[in-house]
Amino acid sequence: MTENNTVSNDSSTTAESGGEVKHLSYGTLIARRFFRQKSAVAGVVIFILLLLFALFGGKICKWSYDDPDFMSISEPPSAEHWLGTDPGGLDLFALISHGLGKSMLIGIITSVATMTIAALYGTAIAFFGGWIERVGMWILDMLLVIPSFLLVAMIVRAANAKAGWIWLIIGLTAFGWVGYARIIRTMALSLRERDYIKAARFMGVGSFKIILRHLVPNLASMIIINTVLGVVNAVASETALSYLGVGIKLPDTSLGLILQTGASTTQTAPWIVVFPSVALVLLTFSMQLIGDGLRDALDPNSAANGQVNA
Amino acid sequence: MLKFIAKRAANYVVMLYVAISFTYFMASAFMTPRSNYESRTPRPPQASIERTLDLANINDHTSVFVRYWHWLTNIVTKWDWGLSPSLESVNKALAPRILASTELVTLSTVLSIVLGVALGIYTAQRQYHWQDRLFSTLATFFLVIPSAVLALMIVLIAITVNDAAGFRIFYVTGLSSYSGDNLLLRFGDFLQHIILPTISLTLLGMVSYHLTQRTYLLDEMHADYVRTARSKGLTRKQAIRRHALRASLIPTGVNVAFSIASVFTGAVITESIFAINGLGRYFITAINNNDINASVAIAAFGGACTLVGALLADIFSAWLDPRIKMS
Repeated sequence: MTENNTVSNDSSTTAESGGEVKHLSYGTLIARRFFRQKSAVAGVVIFILLLLFALFGGKICKWSYDDPDFMSISEPPSAEHWLGTDPGGLDLFALISHGLGKSMLIGIITSVATMTIAALYGTAIAFFGGWIERVGMWILDMLLVIPSFLLVAMIVRAANAKAGWIWLIIGLTAFGWVGYARIIRTMALSLRERDYIKAARFMGVGSFKIILRHLVPNLASMIIINTVLGVVNAVASETALSYLGVGIKLPDTSLGLILQTGASTTQTAPWIVVFPSVALVLLTFSMQLIGDGLRDALDPNSAANGQVNA
Repeated sequence: MLKFIAKRAANYVVMLYVAISFTYFMASAFMTPRSNYESRTPRPPQASIERTLDLANINDHTSVFVRYWHWLTNIVTKWDWGLSPSLESVNKALAPRILASTELVTLSTVLSIVLGVALGIYTAQRQYHWQDRLFSTLATFFLVIPSAVLALMIVLIAITVNDAAGFRIFYVTGLSSYSGDNLLLRFGDFLQHIILPTISLTLLGMVSYHLTQRTYLLDEMHADYVRTARSKGLTRKQAIRRHALRASLIPTGVNVAFSIASVFTGAVITESIFAINGLGRYFITAINNNDINASVAIAAFGGACTLVGALLADIFSAWLDPRIKMS
């Protein structure tokens, strides 16, 4: 893709076709199509704001997420504690800032790792075909039988509090890639019959090299979209597990864990539930908007029309 | 047809066996029921700990393969799924919870299919109109909202409504609290309890039906045979109802069959928030108690549901769509 990019950049600077038709590089075209959509821009803005909040929220707040203020327990929002405090006297602003960062980190690493495994496995079994494909598909189906949520809960619950979030990523990745691998295999099936794959094969290029050089890059748009949308799923799973007490554990925190604290005090201190919920919904909603925007920008059948140097 | 079903079913049984065994070994590796007893104060005598663990067949001093064989033979010969660390029968604990889960999810599943499909059909016919935009935005919102957040927000709203009304309209925990004999009151009480979790599960469940049905119908609406029907003089509505709609319901039917599995395991969060003693909540208890046998039994139940759903989906699509080769 980068190669393509530079080539068309050159041609657009020389502008040999003259006058009205303006040539765009592939990257510019995608960016233009993406930023043309108001919802996608809104998603990017929300995501950047959340990212800034997660990175610097702890710095501008005078309380730390693990430093309880015993003089104010379950206090509503005030000048001292901007978003109030929880029953343990912890400042909610600091908690949410730290928890949001943890949720983002877990969501993004999990999604990237998941999609990497899924892309390699899915394209590999499609490329080799024959009995490898049959066995590979059988394993995928088998892994889909047991609800993955249960298996992840089992693994993460065994981890200790400090390394809990790493085990959460491992668990979510280990059982989250299966569904995507099936989708990617289906798409790779049509690619493997293409002439350029056959040509590479007959030239004696190694299988692994063909998969990495030709199959995966040609599924890139689909993989990118699913990686972004996968963050939504990963964050939702993380929230669910932490909420149930089998994910992130104290003294570490995540948005799901704050929700769990707040769930027991919905009647007396509703702000403990409301603020992390807002942060969570903004995070997942912005990722969904970005993902949908990318889908429309990368999809050649989309209604957006830009002129590409064909 | 029969041969096709038998072949699929046999494959699924093997798959289920491998998956359950895999879960058993995973659970044995990651759970330490011994710690339940060793962390107690006063600590029970060592001999008693060993005896209890041996009785429940979860002693980690015994080889895991010996335990596995023992566990497997008990299931195959006596349909006995073992004991929890406190020596209670898993079979007995499981039955009422399956019932509670079924009570909880049946209504919401039916509602989410009916409402979701109807909304999908409605919005597909109004593509690019404001109705479609509005419902699509709403659907995106419910698609990404974590179930815990949605359920907690519903609880908050219900508490506010209760406070405003001055008496309890909605109950936010459990499935029943009436203990009298009056059937009508009992039913009313059940409704007061079930309405909130049902709303929460329905909103989460109908989104996928809405979006997929919309896509399927849009695909079919632009197919050649619908254009042919139009050119032969059918109105747009007739063409859609008689031709496109029928074809677009096939993949939805397959989705419905598949949803049987998620029905039982998808309600974990909802059950926890609304304090319903169903399977999902039991699973969390089992995990926190290092209850190997119960966790595996629940996973097995979930797996069995998935495969029954998959088998139904196979049969359904083969029956509806003659193009699918039965081989």
